[in-house]
Amino acid sequence: MTGPEQFPMNNQQQEKATLLERLIFNNRPVVIFICLLVSAFLFYQATLIRPSTSFEKMIPLKHPFIQKMIEHRNDLANLGNTVRISVEAVDGDIFSKEYMETLRQIHDEVFYIPGVDRSGLKSLWSPSVRWTEVTEEGFAGGEVIPQTYNGSADTLEDLRNNVLKSGQVGRLVSNDFKSSIVDVPLLESYPDPEDQGKLLKLDYQQFSHQLEEKIRDKFQVQNPNVKVHIVGFAKKVGDLIDGLIMVVAFFGIAFMITLVLLYWFTRCIRSTIAVLITTLVAVIWQLGLMHAVGFGLDPYSMLVPFLIFAIGISHGVQKINGIALQSSDADNALTAARRTFRQLFLPGMIAILADAVGFITLLIIDIGVIRELAIGASIGVAVIVFTNLILLPVAISYVGISKRAITRSKKDATREHPFWRLLAKFASPKVAPVSIVLALLAFGGGFWYSQNLKIGDLDQGAPELRPDSRYNKDNQFIIDNYSTSSDVLVVMVKTKAEGCSTYAAMAPIDELMWKMQNTPGVQSAVSLVTVSKQMIKGMNEGNLKWESLSRNPDVLNNSIARADGLYNNDCSLAPVLIYLNDHKAETLDRAVKAVKEFAQENNKEGLEFLLAAGNAGIEAATNEVIKSSELTILILVYICVAVMCMITFRSFAATLCIVLPLVLTSVLGNALMAFMGIGVKVATLPVVALGVGIGVDYGIYIYSRLESFLRAGMPLQEAYYQTLKSTGKAVLFTGLCLAIGVATWIFSAIKFQADMGLMLTFMLLWNMFGALWLLPALARFLIKPEKLAGKVGGSLFAH
Amino acid sequence: MSEPVMAGTGPVIQMGAKRPSAFHRGVLRTAALSLIGVLSATAIVLPVHAAQSADAVYSIQSTKAQHGLMLDVAQAGARLVAVGDRGHILYSDDQGQSWTQAKVPTRQLLTAVYFVDASHGWAVGHDAQILVSSDAGATWTKQYEDLKREAPLLDVWFKDVSSGYAVGAYGALLATTDGGKHWEDVSDRIDNEDQYHFNGIAAVKDAGLFIVGEQGSMFRSADWGQTWERVDGPYEGSLFGVVGTAQASTLLAYGLRGNLYRSSDFGSTWEKVELKGARGSLEFGLSGATLLKDGSLVLVGNGGSVLRSSDDGRSFRVYNRPDRISLAGVAAKDGDELILVGQGGVRVAAATGAERSQQ
Repeated sequence: MTGPEQFPMNNQQQEKATLLERLIFNNRPVVIFICLLVSAFLFYQATLIRPSTSFEKMIPLKHPFIQKMIEHRNDLANLGNTVRISVEAVDGDIFSKEYMETLRQIHDEVFYIPGVDRSGLKSLWSPSVRWTEVTEEGFAGGEVIPQTYNGSADTLEDLRNNVLKSGQVGRLVSNDFKSSIVDVPLLESYPDPEDQGKLLKLDYQQFSHQLEEKIRDKFQVQNPNVKVHIVGFAKKVGDLIDGLIMVVAFFGIAFMITLVLLYWFTRCIRSTIAVLITTLVAVIWQLGLMHAVGFGLDPYSMLVPFLIFAIGISHGVQKINGIALQSSDADNALTAARRTFRQLFLPGMIAILADAVGFITLLIIDIGVIRELAIGASIGVAVIVFTNLILLPVAISYVGISKRAITRSKKDATREHPFWRLLAKFASPKVAPVSIVLALLAFGGGFWYSQNLKIGDLDQGAPELRPDSRYNKDNQFIIDNYSTSSDVLVVMVKTKAEGCSTYAAMAPIDELMWKMQNTPGVQSAVSLVTVSKQMIKGMNEGNLKWESLSRNPDVLNNSIARADGLYNNDCSLAPVLIYLNDHKAETLDRAVKAVKEFAQENNKEGLEFLLAAGNAGIEAATNEVIKSSELTILILVYICVAVMCMITFRSFAATLCIVLPLVLTSVLGNALMAFMGIGVKVATLPVVALGVGIGVDYGIYIYSRLESFLRAGMPLQEAYYQTLKSTGKAVLFTGLCLAIGVATWIFSAIKFQADMGLMLTFMLLWNMFGALWLLPALARFLIKPEKLAGKVGGSLFAH
Repeated sequence: MSEPVMAGTGPVIQMGAKRPSAFHRGVLRTAALSLIGVLSATAIVLPVHAAQSADAVYSIQSTKAQHGLMLDVAQAGARLVAVGDRGHILYSDDQGQSWTQAKVPTRQLLTAVYFVDASHGWAVGHDAQILVSSDAGATWTKQYEDLKREAPLLDVWFKDVSSGYAVGAYGALLATTDGGKHWEDVSDRIDNEDQYHFNGIAAVKDAGLFIVGEQGSMFRSADWGQTWERVDGPYEGSLFGVVGTAQASTLLAYGLRGNLYRSSDFGSTWEKVELKGARGSLEFGLSGATLLKDGSLVLVGNGGSVLRSSDDGRSFRVYNRPDRISLAGVAAKDGDELILVGQGGVRVAAATGAERSQQ
């Protein structure tokens, strides 16, 4: 087989250059110049892009839970955003002069870190941390650290007694007295120290670094007997952003591997470099545009450049493959480039459109980071149209392809390929039924196993980071040594102004707390009722018989005077903090369901139980959003892809041949997630859309070739052999390129990037395999070659 | 609720409601003073609702009830009955190994329980509720409730199945002579013009009834509750309870900060019982006591304190549980072992009060 037979449209269409083609190839210097200009501008923009993320972008802002939370956020004493610094005494306990001095210095140092809500800062050194005791004379109480404190053994003994009486054991002081906590509430925006009128946004990375430098490093060196553990959203995000820096190194690794593979594929250093440079240009444009539209690089959108690079390379390879084949019978590089452009621009556009459509479906997920990922990736693939479909052929038309590569592709085109011959058997009438049966079995098995798939984060601690990361070790330290769980669901109880301290409000709150404590997965519940009962008991000489709400309004009012943060200024909102064992989806579901039931029975005029705040509230909302979007996204992306196929090939059978292998991949992907213990979460949801969107490329490339050979009148198996011979290598190579691009993420310090990398690698490789294996088998049953033979028209490719 | 008469409509009861507790008197002084003058000597008989209200709110069945706050435990024959938070009443027929939650028509905190025989018992609590059981604690009926009082009843004692007394906050003394069908407010039988809380009531062998309360107040009745006499106590701080020993006319009164006093002449003279903890004298409040069949006495209190005496209360061996949990009540089970109730619910403990595995 030679060129003209492989590309039946070549000769007849040679002179019928499209307007677009003429526009580009008649003005090549202008094209190059414009691209240079745009690149320069966007490169400048790209250098300005900074890692960034904010609390709001990670949460589903439109979810009713979150809206209620935001509505009442000023009334909730910063329940969402606190950092806890636990200072551990390595030898002995906290009751030593040196330890207390270090703790005091840490408290003071934290006070001056920008972004800290100074009024809420709490440690043993805070005057607001007090002890109380009942004596014959009445209430006695005072600051936990006595006024007389001077570090002497006596005053340390006083301190020990005060701590015991303060009720802070398990909260500010660990159960084993070997560590204590500095509780640091944060402000998302805070007044600029230089210009009080201006508000600065909290920079999590900078804040996290300040904690490391000014607190952890400094004080661990200064006092080798202390170890500092830091947990909290801001620290976690700071660590995540640091993890991103490492990802940049992965980009370098992916780049080098791609370079080697590309050279091995093309055997031409000129075209290798041309592809790499145009693809890098695509990445730069994408980053530049991201910054130009006001996005930063968050842990999710960080992955877009990898995708763009991989997609760009794969399109570049298709181009080079085409140009090399065209070069064998074209006079010069320009003609070869023009012919290739003419031939591949449309399927390239369609493949890119399919990618973009896959990404765009992600916009329906109401979570900022996912939307930015969708927009960033869509911008990126749009950019590839300019760089790899237009700039690359123009560039090649100047530099040309080495003689050696052309000779090789000419030889390849004519010689027999036993490997492709073997693969072509997938289309044979004997193998095809076996393949279909195997695929059905795999589908059934995968579907059955994927029932085990869970929604939400499944790991203890911060699932974004690896279990052995420092953050998660710190988190484990806090869980092990303190009585407060790190998973808190907050119910907001709304009353009329001055209504939160009435018996009519507090008795139902008490009932809710008991109902929640009886819900599996709930550790404990805390609200102003907790404080009230303790205070009433205290007012009655610590007599347990009084540990109950009083119907006397004065007594009740009095009893919550010290319940700081458990009701708002005008006593119209009281949060109920429900501590959970973990943040697994079923735990959250049970707790949320119990609250909803209670709210339904007890909500009335002037008393409403509103969900939800706290990290568990946010996760519950996120899970609900994911659960409701999961199926929608899957359906949407498949509809889009199917419509694209229908438009392209005008054939229902063709659409099935391309889409069904993708469905098998999706099902097996879900089974793999269930097997690996990866839940459906913010990070893995995009994988479906990305995997299907990109995966459809293979099907489109293979089927368009297959169809053209069938039209030329070949029987299916022979047509498939010819398809493999001309484009099989490019498809395999594309699959490898994409897989390598995303596989490097598996080594990311960020757990969800690793999960995404693993899942995408699987989906992209398996989609390629599915296209090569199942597509011909399905075609055997669905396509009637005799109907296609000699037919012109129909498909977009049948020019 | 369909009580025939709202119990709190009587003037006597209302006057009690606003008297502040000794330790936040300053806050509520104005309110209290304005009401002192309403003190009335008239006692009225409060009609009683015998029928249970149809829409009564029952306590919620919960496996966690056993680990919630429990305040008192008593023996009904071989059965143990414990009362506590949210209307939880638990009973055990296997010496505390397993507990069953009784059906109780309240969700209020119950403060004390008393069984006069193997089947008849009364429990009292917040909202001035009095509950009765005639089936050894399995089912309960509400006999009395007074929301307007805004104060709890704190202890209960019965002489026989018909006559008994309940005492409570702000000097409340309620009496019945028909097994609780009718409860009468007889607070005026006691000269208690400061309206001290009555924290505990107990019988003293061959002598009569004894009440202790806030600010060291003490009262005794040699005619089993008809007339009362104020006793000058040995202590200014509050007393949380009183228990008669096996000896005639002998009793122990206990309260705040490890204060324990013994009298062998029905309260005329007192001697302090010194309590030595692991680190000096015991500073924890004492809140519950029981007299064992062999004449031993066991007291419990805050800080996981368990005190045991085998010399009729002259001296005690002090044990503080490592969990430092606040204990409110104690009962004996077969053998030496104890049933402890308090924060964290019901526990079976060794004779010393230690966890059984730790003895």
